[in-house]
Amino acid sequence: MTWHLDTIFFSIALGVLMLVVGGRVARNATDGVPGGFQNFVESILEFVQTQVKDSFPGHNPLIAPLALTIFVWVWLMNFMDLIPIDLLPLIGSWLGLPYLKVVPTTDINTPLAMALVVFGLTLFYNIKVKGLGGYLKMFLFHPFGKFAMPANIVMTTIEEIAKPLSLGLRLFGNMFAGELVFLLIALLGGAAALGAGLLIWFPLQVVLDLAWLLFHILVITLQAFIFMVLTIVYLGMAHTTEH
Amino acid sequence: MSESKKPGLLLIGVGQILTSMIVSGFLLGYLLDLYFGTQPIFILILGGLGFIGGFLKVYRLLTDPELQ
Repeated sequence: MTWHLDTIFFSIALGVLMLVVGGRVARNATDGVPGGFQNFVESILEFVQTQVKDSFPGHNPLIAPLALTIFVWVWLMNFMDLIPIDLLPLIGSWLGLPYLKVVPTTDINTPLAMALVVFGLTLFYNIKVKGLGGYLKMFLFHPFGKFAMPANIVMTTIEEIAKPLSLGLRLFGNMFAGELVFLLIALLGGAAALGAGLLIWFPLQVVLDLAWLLFHILVITLQAFIFMVLTIVYLGMAHTTEH
Repeated sequence: MSESKKPGLLLIGVGQILTSMIVSGFLLGYLLDLYFGTQPIFILILGGLGFIGGFLKVYRLLTDPELQ
């Protein structure tokens, strides 16, 4: 067993950052005219609240805070991708760290762990809302009725496994591919280590890097957003008695 | 505003559900094959079931009157 200390460190540090900044904004919140940053935080909050209201049936006070946490945390972890790709590893190498993975979400363990937590919550609410018997009944009779029980069991199992997979692997795949593209672009200028003549590629690197950076802002926001929406949708499915 | 946003969100989720159900069907089939030593049987059956189930789930979600 190996401990991915860099992943753990950066994800916890970003979580603490989120908590500290959020707590400070909440303490300094005024109900008069809000300042710039409070306005920004409130707009995020309102945005998440609308999503939850739109796609979550029923009422559960846990869902909105969970969705907000997931959205902001995943976005922050993804955002580490936009820091110049070898800056933090370089600083790390000065401090004696030979290897440093800066973006926690490009480590498969982080997205899968978050997906498993969400999966555990869906299991919990499935059993809480439908009852253990109701949940097992869903396994037995769900897609095809009672005459195709073995197929039903397999199908529902596949469906349940698909939930954490779709959450975790999608986030990981997108962020890993994004980081890989950043690395490849960085290698354009990095090739100059072989000979100064290869510096001819440097302008191309600058253009490509800027373009991919701007595009990547969209990607990280979309991925955080999708993670949040799917969490809400899956938990919503757990709260409905049909399906 | 809230009414117009719903289908879009649902479509995001639906695409993920379809692909991941196919993948997890194959994954489960692969593991069962590994366990029982029956190489291509379970992966084919469960992959097919995942495919059908994925389409079925997508169809149910998209035609669900509650979510429209």
